Amino acid sequence: MKFEKRRATTKQEIPTASMPDIVFMLLLFFMVTTTLREVDVLVDFKLPDAQAIEKIENKRLISYIWVGNTGKIQINDSIVMLGDVQPLMYTKRQELPNIIVSLRIDRNSDMGLVTDIQQELRKAYCLRINYSANIKI
Amino acid sequence: MIKKKKIPEASIPTSSMADIAFLLLLFFLVATVIDVDTGIGLTLPEYVEDIETVEVPKDRMAALLINERGDILLDGEQVSVFQIKNNLKKRIVEKIELPKAKKLIVSLKTDRKTFYNTYVQALDQVKLSFFEVRDEYSNANFGRRYIDLKPDQQDEVKEKIPIIISLAEPEVVKK
Repeated sequence: MKFEKRRATTKQEIPTASMPDIVFMLLLFFMVTTTLREVDVLVDFKLPDAQAIEKIENKRLISYIWVGNTGKIQINDSIVMLGDVQPLMYTKRQELPNIIVSLRIDRNSDMGLVTDIQQELRKAYCLRINYSANIKI
Repeated sequence: MIKKKKIPEASIPTSSMADIAFLLLLFFLVATVIDVDTGIGLTLPEYVEDIETVEVPKDRMAALLINERGDILLDGEQVSVFQIKNNLKKRIVEKIELPKAKKLIVSLKTDRKTFYNTYVQALDQVKLSFFEVRDEYSNANFGRRYIDLKPDQQDEVKEKIPIIISLAEPEVVKK
């Protein structure tokens, strides 16, 4: 007895015509969600670790202040002096009244500098701050 | 007899479209930074020229002092970073049912030479103790964790257990 392999008579191909559409959809998603990095960080810093961490819901409200391991302060795109913090932050606050200032401070900085910056922020009425920290596992 | 000329099919090959799209996709995949900003949130007090000092009863205050070597003093007793949480939790729980003017105030004071890291560790423990008490309270009363509560329930818990942290201005080291 002879066996014959049974074959389906229909085509066995996956239609790939819609592949570009699917890829474009993915592409669009990434294009929309991407926020290209606007500023170059000029200072070296290593964030501290913490457990009681909150996420900031609204990214558009955040404004950063970096403090590097050599004590340099960076706002926007440039290194600034301590005395410049207040006028700079005040203009920022006028544009964005409910601004959140995220402090990205090196873990080995002195508290003296941190409090000085905080005092400047208080004078500039930027009262909502956030000590940026990594999640400790 | 005129033979109709056969028009050749004119089409742009679209088979490479997927490749091009993939290339673009790859670029955006690589360029995307999905980093959620995480940190310890805090609200600073408004700046006033001359500070009024208000006397606060001793049992309402938890004074945390950190010196430049990272030693921590909680109400006059030297503790380690990890002891802060349990120490404070007890005192927060005691004050849940008290009126608003009698809740615990945690005062955090550092030296100008204290490392930022030590300060964040201590602040983290303080925050954690408040969060854990909130979680326990909501678990006992609503059967859920604090984050899973409805907004009005969250407000109620917030009302019962407010986070009051006072940041004292650092003094110059006395020698």
